[in-house]
Amino acid sequence: MDRPEPVTIEVDGRTVPAHPGESLATALLAAGERAVGTTRGGARRAPYCNMGICFECVVTVDDVPCQRSCLIRVRADMRVRTAVPR
Amino acid sequence: MTSYDTAVIGGGLLGCATAWHLARAGNRVLLVEKDQVNRHASGQNAGSLHFQLEFRMVEHGDDAARAAARALPLHLDAMRAWATVEDELGERCGVSRTGGLMLAETPAEIAVLDRKAALEREYGLDVAVLSGPELRRFAPYLADTVLAAGHVPGEGKANPRLVTPALARAAGRYGAVLRTGCRVTGLHRRGRHWELRTGTGPGDTAGETHLADTVVLAGGVWTAELAAMADVRLPVFPVGLTMSATARSRPFLPHLIQHVGRRLSMKQTEDGNVLIGGGWPAKLVSRAGQVDLETNPELRYESLVGNADAARVVPAVFDLPVIRTWTGMTTLTPDHLPLLGAVPRRPGLFVATGGSAFTLGLTYARLLARMVVTGETDRSIEDYSPSRFGALNFV
Amino acid sequence: MSAPDVVVVGAGPAGLAAAATLGRHGAAVTVVDEQEQPGGQIYRQPPAGFTPPAGSSPAGRALLAEATAAPGVRWLADTTVWGVLGTRAGLDGYAGDQPPPGRYRVATHGPVGVRLLEPRAVLLTAGAYDLPVPFPGWTLPGVLTAGGVQTFVKAQGLLPGGRFVLAGGHPLLLVVAAQLVRAGARVVEVALIQRRRDLLPGPAGLAAAAGAGGKIAEGVDALRVLRRAGVPVRFGTVVRRAAGDPDLTTVTLAEVGPTGLPVSGTDRDVPCDVLALGYGFVPSVELARQAGCAVTWDSPAGGWVVRHDEWLRTSVPQIAVAGELTGVAGAEQAEVEGRLAALGVLRDLGLLDEHRAVTLARPVRRELRRRRRFVTQVLDRFAPDRAALGSLVTDDTVLCRCEEVRAGDVRRALRANPHLGTANAVKLVTRAGMGLCQGRSCQPGLCQLISTLTGRGPEQVGAFTAQAPVKPVPLRALAVGDEPPAAD
Repeated sequence: MDRPEPVTIEVDGRTVPAHPGESLATALLAAGERAVGTTRGGARRAPYCNMGICFECVVTVDDVPCQRSCLIRVRADMRVRTAVPR
Repeated sequence: MTSYDTAVIGGGLLGCATAWHLARAGNRVLLVEKDQVNRHASGQNAGSLHFQLEFRMVEHGDDAARAAARALPLHLDAMRAWATVEDELGERCGVSRTGGLMLAETPAEIAVLDRKAALEREYGLDVAVLSGPELRRFAPYLADTVLAAGHVPGEGKANPRLVTPALARAAGRYGAVLRTGCRVTGLHRRGRHWELRTGTGPGDTAGETHLADTVVLAGGVWTAELAAMADVRLPVFPVGLTMSATARSRPFLPHLIQHVGRRLSMKQTEDGNVLIGGGWPAKLVSRAGQVDLETNPELRYESLVGNADAARVVPAVFDLPVIRTWTGMTTLTPDHLPLLGAVPRRPGLFVATGGSAFTLGLTYARLLARMVVTGETDRSIEDYSPSRFGALNFV
Repeated sequence: MSAPDVVVVGAGPAGLAAAATLGRHGAAVTVVDEQEQPGGQIYRQPPAGFTPPAGSSPAGRALLAEATAAPGVRWLADTTVWGVLGTRAGLDGYAGDQPPPGRYRVATHGPVGVRLLEPRAVLLTAGAYDLPVPFPGWTLPGVLTAGGVQTFVKAQGLLPGGRFVLAGGHPLLLVVAAQLVRAGARVVEVALIQRRRDLLPGPAGLAAAAGAGGKIAEGVDALRVLRRAGVPVRFGTVVRRAAGDPDLTTVTLAEVGPTGLPVSGTDRDVPCDVLALGYGFVPSVELARQAGCAVTWDSPAGGWVVRHDEWLRTSVPQIAVAGELTGVAGAEQAEVEGRLAALGVLRDLGLLDEHRAVTLARPVRRELRRRRRFVTQVLDRFAPDRAALGSLVTDDTVLCRCEEVRAGDVRRALRANPHLGTANAVKLVTRAGMGLCQGRSCQPGLCQLISTLTGRGPEQVGAFTAQAPVKPVPLRALAVGDEPPAAD
């Protein structure tokens, strides 16, 4: 797959390369983030359905909570917070 | 055919609490519920314990407020009832009495708040009007637009998911018989008893018949329908309401929030969701020209927008998604006062309903049970008697 | 606010075919879809600016081209339909603006905020999602649906792990496994719960299969790829447990006996870091149910399906359905149903007269009948044995992923409240279904458990009440409502 040139996004304060337009879930997994979510009880969670149904992959993007990373597309300089208890 | 001392019709908070009080007093109690326990308004309301006069009671001027204030003695009774119910049941029901605020955002609203507080104090309600730095310190989460707030320390919330099932279990422990999925299809006086027919619906001939000395109507919006089976007309009206719940969030809103100038009731549950309601209407669904009580009211777009917009007074709520809305029905009377007590000319038939039946339900139940058992109550409930609508029945 | 003739909800095969048909016959159509690009899950396209490797010929290309070239079709991407409002008659004394008689409000949320569409007809083609099957460990990072894995691989060009096990009871697993192999992944095993002998088609199946050469060829091709790569495909095998700390490292597979239950003593631990699950699909009927459309329980077809007439019209006037909402049957049948439903809508709107609609529908109906014969055979063979799958659940198994409600919590709640027995009632006492996903992940498993524990059938247990918003909507967007920002 040919992709556009990578940009950088900020994930929990860390700078991570990602391809603009790919799903944020893809970028996070490619960056080694196996689990992006945390339950109220502290359990690690990761994308399960990858199609906007299960909400297991929700992250905070630019201070907006509960964004499904499988539906959000990567934009340069987006700020992502993972493992926000929900 | 089985006989009971009392048949309670309705498995909501009121019915279950009445059954609990009666069974505890030694009555043989049958409780019948057409759906599931806690299925309707008791489980669908947002669980506010509000003892101040509501917006709907003060929006039509001082005279209307003064008339509505006649229910305040019941509010004070309910405040005490919620303080002890968890101990009496021996389990938690999410009762939290960390105080409630009734907000004002304009000088005119502050004036209403002041007059309302004066009226409430006449009845002995402990209410203070907070403003300025004192209010900010007490409720730092409020928007700058909030100028003052009426504060009642005993207000708060209970968990509507937990209260009624706990009451049902408690009633069961004292021997009350609970029948769910059991609809009352007939209610007739036979000699010294009431004969109660139950089944899956009208025309169900395979149903059962039960006898009871006394019958308590605790049917919420179905009260008028049930009363009609006993050949009585009661003027109670279903009202459709809308509530919204946000996703869970860290605890930041410890108080019950209401508004003196518009429809708003907001609180954060112990699970972290913020619940928003406060009287935003939902559309009552009709069938063949009649209000269809078996169908949930339909959500109105305007109510959802209004509901969301009203939450502006707590800016942190604005960042959260709404994950659920739901509609439900509550019951109002023409004069906004409860309908509580013995039904005239129908010996042994009792009823309670009317607005705020979650907040006031424990009190209604205690008073009704006492009336059933002893024939009297420890406080005057004349103001709420169904007899005030006796003229409707032409008898 | 805008007032197209028809709003089509979902841009998968059914929605694409419907939009093409509607547009061709002069209807003003708005297609709303949650994804960036049309195609749905099955014909999902890579993101804009991504080029798939040369030689790959994405499925559904002809349909996508037909739909995007159709006149009069407006596409609302990245947009969620969260409610269809105003479908019921009633006491509506509200003083606000109301849509004209006969029009509903389709409430959406997308990049421009909350918007209302007020079409003359609504066509729901929301598709389906993977049947969630709870078992110990299914919430661990690394456990995904087969569809989810497929999306990473096909649409994003990412292998979401190193060692893959695929398990479940749906032929899609073979297709995804072959795609993984072609993408260079290491597939350790494909485990299908059906026993081989139960999959052999009878004479009726062979006859029906004659009309579905493409599907069968796809499966045969996948099996060939897997055989060549040395990937074991085991029948009569179920995944009972997923384990690892903090993420998935092992799955436990077991043999299935004649009763559909795992045979004790046959457990095998297989190391892997991705488990892809495929037990079939659940029709996305939430929006239809929210709108008041009557549904019927049909277990082989995926559970609750929308009732419809011969033009695929639901019990609510002016709302039609097509595709998986009428019963899960795959992309090809969805496409045909999309065309038929569109003809029905055109007929109702007066854009086609009766004779012409019936004439145009005739070959579509014939095609549909042919496909249904095959699909029924497949459904019977691959239908989930819900009771057997329910037996995988232990007290510790999370049922509701959002609220972390475990099977034991439900068991205890039902023991303490023996008078409860519906999905709604159990939701209320346990919080199962009260989270962000609004019960999509837990409803099938929870309802099965309630059935098992109370002896009540699926119709009696019911489903969670479907209320708007059927997907979460930011409070801020709702508070602003359908008010475009003032121009500067």
